[in-house]
Amino acid sequence: MTVLAIIAALLAGVWLLAAIEGWAAHGRFSLIRPLAAALALLGRESIVPRKADRLFFEVAPVLLLVAGLLAVAVIPLAPGLIVVDLATGALFVNAALAYVLVALIMAGWGPDGAYAMIGGWRFLGQFIGYSMLVVMPITAVAMRAESLSTVEIVASQADLWNIAYQPLGFVLFVIAAMALAWLPPFDLPAAEGDLAGGIEAEYAGARLLVLRLARMVIVLALAGAVTTFYLGGWLGPWLPSWAWSGLKTLAVASAMLMLGRHLPRIREARFLELCWKAGVPLALVNIFLVGVIALVVPT
Amino acid sequence: MSGSAAETLFLVFFGAAAVWFGIVVFRTHSMVRSAIALLFAQTAVGAMFLVMQAEFLGVLQIMMMASEMSIMAIFMVMFMMDPGGLGAMEMTHQKRLSLKAGGAGFAFALGVILLGGWGPAAQEVPAAAAQTAALGRELLGRSMFVFESAGLTILTAMIAATMVAIAPQGEKEG
Repeated sequence: MTVLAIIAALLAGVWLLAAIEGWAAHGRFSLIRPLAAALALLGRESIVPRKADRLFFEVAPVLLLVAGLLAVAVIPLAPGLIVVDLATGALFVNAALAYVLVALIMAGWGPDGAYAMIGGWRFLGQFIGYSMLVVMPITAVAMRAESLSTVEIVASQADLWNIAYQPLGFVLFVIAAMALAWLPPFDLPAAEGDLAGGIEAEYAGARLLVLRLARMVIVLALAGAVTTFYLGGWLGPWLPSWAWSGLKTLAVASAMLMLGRHLPRIREARFLELCWKAGVPLALVNIFLVGVIALVVPT
Repeated sequence: MSGSAAETLFLVFFGAAAVWFGIVVFRTHSMVRSAIALLFAQTAVGAMFLVMQAEFLGVLQIMMMASEMSIMAIFMVMFMMDPGGLGAMEMTHQKRLSLKAGGAGFAFALGVILLGGWGPAAQEVPAAAAQTAALGRELLGRSMFVFESAGLTILTAMIAATMVAIAPQGEKEG
């Protein structure tokens, strides 16, 4: 029952996000368009490029989807409404989403196309930048909760949400999450302008549909992670707890989908420079501050 | 089926998967396929940890290997002449030496497994959170020296690699 409820929430979330992304990109909000686009993709021929590494080409979209779904499995929607409450949940989110990198490298290498391959390897460079900024803010979150369990992390924010307790970590984690989901201005692997779709360039039809669906699941999982780690998860007055999780997750996901569109696409070298010269020291400062607060302020 | 029988079955399955992916590493001609096969061999080892209820170690193994092996893949592509394996490059070299070294390594590992004193087996698996805490105490207590020296070695290697990668003064990148 729990799993069914979560799958329903996931499908509804992905549908709404696709509508919101369409709104951000084309300026028109329509709930029908994502469905029509999905049906159209299903109806089109799913071309396999000549001399493709067939195994990689076929596995990549599925692996991407599996990585996203595994991350969703440890995000709590309400007390008890979680697929599996792992004792290492916060780490597991990161472990599952590490396979986004593997899937994108496979999607880049698989089709034997120049644009796709550049996109795939670009994402590896991007990963070197953002990966520390995913793990280090999670460390600070776990320090406060004294647990890696996502349920415990939400419970630890009953008095004060982490966005107020560790705002620096919040900002770094959201930036890293946007880079992980290759959302603008970090959309280097798919860069429409210079790579003609990059990792998506050689995919068509049903395979492209799976790829896009997987990307939306990943955005949703990351927004759920931001909600769980920093926005108090299901905590909130009046509304039922699942509604709070849902609303917060959708709000975060919408912000992630929309905000970056107003910025120019960042260069790979600049992104790495910013992450390592500014991001990592700031993340260390965040861990230090949270440690000091945890030691000084009595619980 | 009882819990422990199912556990053994999954352990054998993931163990076999790890070995099979290990074999694929050498059977393929493509460098990228080889790296990704090694990645999935390591992921299968991580899954074995999970089956044995060592949750933290399992998740850590699955997480670390994804990035490490992907980075290895790009180095293999950069340094090899035929990364796509279009020329059907042979992955095995110095076969006789490798066979002997592999055989000796296997015999040694087997010897350690069979002859080593492992102490009494744990009767009960500690809760996952307790395991994580115990691991933290181990790493910051008894094993701190080993842990920190490994960290320092990696840091040295990182600095050295960065130094090698930076173009010398006055020599602009083309």
